[in-house]
Amino acid sequence: MIGYVLEIAQAALALLLAPGLVGLVRWTKARLQNRRGAPVWQPYAELAKLFQKEVVVSSNASWLFRVAPFVIFTSTVAVTFLVPILAVPLPFDGVGDLLVVVYLLLLGTFFLSLAGLDPGSPFGGMGASREMTVAALAEPTVALAIFALALSAGSTNLGQIVARTMADPAAAVSPGHLLAFLALFIVTLAETGRLPIDNPATHLELTMIHEAMILEYSGRYLALIEWAAALKLLIFFSLLGNLFVPWGVSAALTPVTLGVAVLSLLGKLVILASVVAVLETRIAKLRLFRVPELLSVSFVLALLAVTSSFLLR
Amino acid sequence: MDSVFSQLSVLGSSLVLIFGLILLWRRGVTAYISAFTWQSVVLSAVTVVVAYFGNDHELYWVAVCLLLLKGLVIPRLLRQMAHRFAAERELEPYVNTATSLVVSGLLVLFGYAITRPLVALSQLPTRAGMPLAMGLILVSLFVVISRKKALTQVVGFLMLENGLALLAVLGTYGIPLIVELGVFLDVLMGFLVMQIFIYQIHETFESIDVEQLNRLRH
Repeated sequence: MIGYVLEIAQAALALLLAPGLVGLVRWTKARLQNRRGAPVWQPYAELAKLFQKEVVVSSNASWLFRVAPFVIFTSTVAVTFLVPILAVPLPFDGVGDLLVVVYLLLLGTFFLSLAGLDPGSPFGGMGASREMTVAALAEPTVALAIFALALSAGSTNLGQIVARTMADPAAAVSPGHLLAFLALFIVTLAETGRLPIDNPATHLELTMIHEAMILEYSGRYLALIEWAAALKLLIFFSLLGNLFVPWGVSAALTPVTLGVAVLSLLGKLVILASVVAVLETRIAKLRLFRVPELLSVSFVLALLAVTSSFLLR
Repeated sequence: MDSVFSQLSVLGSSLVLIFGLILLWRRGVTAYISAFTWQSVVLSAVTVVVAYFGNDHELYWVAVCLLLLKGLVIPRLLRQMAHRFAAERELEPYVNTATSLVVSGLLVLFGYAITRPLVALSQLPTRAGMPLAMGLILVSLFVVISRKKALTQVVGFLMLENGLALLAVLGTYGIPLIVELGVFLDVLMGFLVMQIFIYQIHETFESIDVEQLNRLRH
């Protein structure tokens, strides 16, 4: 019973923290660029505003356009139940392993591209085709990078991978883990639409990917999509934080360890957010035609990670 | 103790290999040179690790020589050359970036396959790093044959040297110091000869693109 309560608490916490995480990245980036920057809680205000706004839908749009935001949002929320964010032996661990997580995230991406295509605006089609290119290259890398961990843990179950790394701390610095971390980090940038693959800060660029698809959305639909995008960032950050550096994740369900788990989660998110902000300040956006090259770098890294954890078992 | 040693040596060898792979993704000649520099620094760190855990004092000298020659002298000479041929970038290698990355991934796998019996035979704690060294050797050979600019080919050759040095350190805890010194001298001489070649190529063709050498046939 307590497990199910924990599951719901974990998902609620993720939903609550996600906009703040995006705000934190934006604020850090602004400070690094000598701007004052909007406060960290700005995305919450934006979401609240969008939920109150009227929805305008193009007359060319079909039912798909109205359904897509809910599919995107619910599939992303479903992932938060399966990913070890706070504690490890979760009751839903048996429901889905890493393959389910990867494909639930892909389901959201798929519906987002469909929704971009649906109203027939040229920007939406352009964004959708780009998003599919990036997703097709990034998805195998996510699976492969986590497979490298699964091989050394002997299970594709995310909770067991975390438990296994906690039991054997030396594994965390093994080459398989480090290569997989690098690969997953690059893919995180691609999947969540950060620089150097996509620029999250602008709506008015011919090279936009994510923003081009959601250009037609307004009101609560836009709010749901933005919230889901923030949640996806949080999911990838907590995968990076908890799969590779699992310390702090609660193994026993006592109030103290859960408190430690929340604090360590916050710490990991802050660290990763600062890393991403520094990176986004230092590098320029890649030309679109060089994006497949960067993603093949991460694919090769993931491939080497799998090889070395397979051969060094 | 042994597990720490083997983790560290494998970690170092992976880093050395990653710096080799970075070459395939970057394009500027200066990026090639800095990748090579960092690779040499990590290689000499691996040598120090092997020297410390393997209790071999000669290896410290080898590490120092490595750092001086491949970490300082050769990169400096390379930078001078790159400065002289400022506008030359490796814009169009024979094989495009995405393909060459996948090919080098496969080459590393091949390296794993061919060193399998070697690793099975060896009892050293460093044996797990040997496939990575072999992978680096194959990848550097690939860099040499797939790039067009003479300068980037030279960097590929130097990385090949690094791969051989890594394999020697991991597989046998280094060769005798006198042989090692001979190898260093060889590298330096080879590099100087290649430098002269590059200057000559540039003199004749006003470019360091080796494709131009085809014109000599006519």
